[in-house]
Amino acid sequence: MTESAATPAAVTPAAPPGLGDLFTGMLLVALSAFGGGLSAWSQRIIVEQRRWMSNEEFLTGLTVARLFPGPNQINMAVYVGTFFRGLPGTLAALAGMLLVPFTLLMLVGLVYFQFHTLPAIDRVLAGVVAAAAGMALSMGFKILDQYWKDPVALLLASLTFVLMTLFHVRLVPLVLVAGPLAMAWYWPRNTRLTGNDPRP
Amino acid sequence: MSSLLIAAATQLSGCSPMDQGDLGHLIAVLGTFLGLSLFSLGGGNTLLTEYHHLSVEQYCWLTPSQFADIYALAEAAPGPSSMIVGLLGMGAGWPEGPGWALLSAYGAEIAILLPSTLLMVVACLSWNRLRDSPWRIAFERGLGPITLGILFAVGVKILQTADTNPPGVVVSLLVCLLMLRTRISPLWFMAVAGGLGAFGLINR
Repeated sequence: MTESAATPAAVTPAAPPGLGDLFTGMLLVALSAFGGGLSAWSQRIIVEQRRWMSNEEFLTGLTVARLFPGPNQINMAVYVGTFFRGLPGTLAALAGMLLVPFTLLMLVGLVYFQFHTLPAIDRVLAGVVAAAAGMALSMGFKILDQYWKDPVALLLASLTFVLMTLFHVRLVPLVLVAGPLAMAWYWPRNTRLTGNDPRP
Repeated sequence: MSSLLIAAATQLSGCSPMDQGDLGHLIAVLGTFLGLSLFSLGGGNTLLTEYHHLSVEQYCWLTPSQFADIYALAEAAPGPSSMIVGLLGMGAGWPEGPGWALLSAYGAEIAILLPSTLLMVVACLSWNRLRDSPWRIAFERGLGPITLGILFAVGVKILQTADTNPPGVVVSLLVCLLMLRTRISPLWFMAVAGGLGAFGLINR
C-alpha cells in the first residue's frame, strides 16, 4: 500500500475486466476472506494482483462503500462492477461475491434447522456462540479510536447506546431523529477547507 | 383446556407467531427486509438489534438461542456476514417446510440488498458531484458517532442473547480483547470455544 502510494506511476493498469472477469475476481475475493479481512483481500486481488484499479481508485470506492447504506463488501462489489461495466457489471460482480458463499450458507442453514436440537450439536454451538458474542462486542471498540478526541461524538454515541440498550428505542426512529440533529451539528462551516478531507 | 395451556406457555415465552398463510408470511418477510435496507449504516451490522427484535420478539421466527446460533454460523461462514438475513428468512419459512424456507431465505437476502444496492449504483455514477457536497460531509461526520453507539448496543444485545454460563462470558470478553489486540483469525476462537462447549465447560 505504501509502496504504490510512493510510486504511483509504476502501477500500470491492466485491460479493464469483462463480465466474466468481474464474476471470478469477486468470487476469489469472497472465498479468500474465509474468516474475515474481506477489504484487505479485495485490495490485494483487485489492485495488486489483477491491476484493474489504481490504489487511489480503490480507496475512493472503499470510502463510497462505507458511506452509503448496505454491507461494505457488497457495496464495494457494486462499485467495482459499475466502475467498469455499468449495470451488467454490477450484477456480475454481485453474483461473484454472493452466489457461492450464500448457497454454502444455505446448505449449512438447512442442516442446522434440521439437526440443531441434537444435544451434541447444541453443546458445540453454545461454545461457538460465546466466541461470536465476543466478536460482536469488539465491533464498537474497533472504531472507537477515531472518535476519541471528539467529546460531542462520544456524547452522541453514549446517548444512542443508552437509548437502545436501556430504553429499547428502535433503530429506525432513532436514526430518523438523531441523524438529522447530528448532521446539523457537523454541517461543514467552511466548505472550501473541508471539501477534500479524505477521512478513511 | 390444552389450548389454554398452550396460550399460557406462549405468553410466558412472550412470543406468539402470527396466524398467516404461506404466501402472507413470505410477503411479510420481504416487506420487512426491503424497509430496513436503507438503514444498514456502518456496513450492515447496525441492523442486528433490529433483526433480533423482529425475528425473536415480534414475528417469533426464532427462539433467542436459535438467533445466537444463526449469528455465529453467519460469522463463521465465508463471504459477507450480512448473509445472516438469508438464515433469518430460512427460519421464518421453516415451519412451512424446507422448500418454503429456501424461497424465503433467497427472498429475504435479495430484499435486504436491493434498495441499498440501487442507491450505491446511483452514488457511484454521481460521486464526482457528491464528493464535495456539504450534505455528504455532514452525513459522514454526523452518522459516524451514531453508528458507534449502535455497534456497542449490538454487542451488548448479542452477548445477552448468547446467554451462556459465567465461563462462557469470560470467553466472550477474552475473544473481544483478542480481536482488538491480535490478528488471529476469528475462526480459531470459534473452533476452540466450540471445543469447550463440546466438553461442557461452556453451556447455556
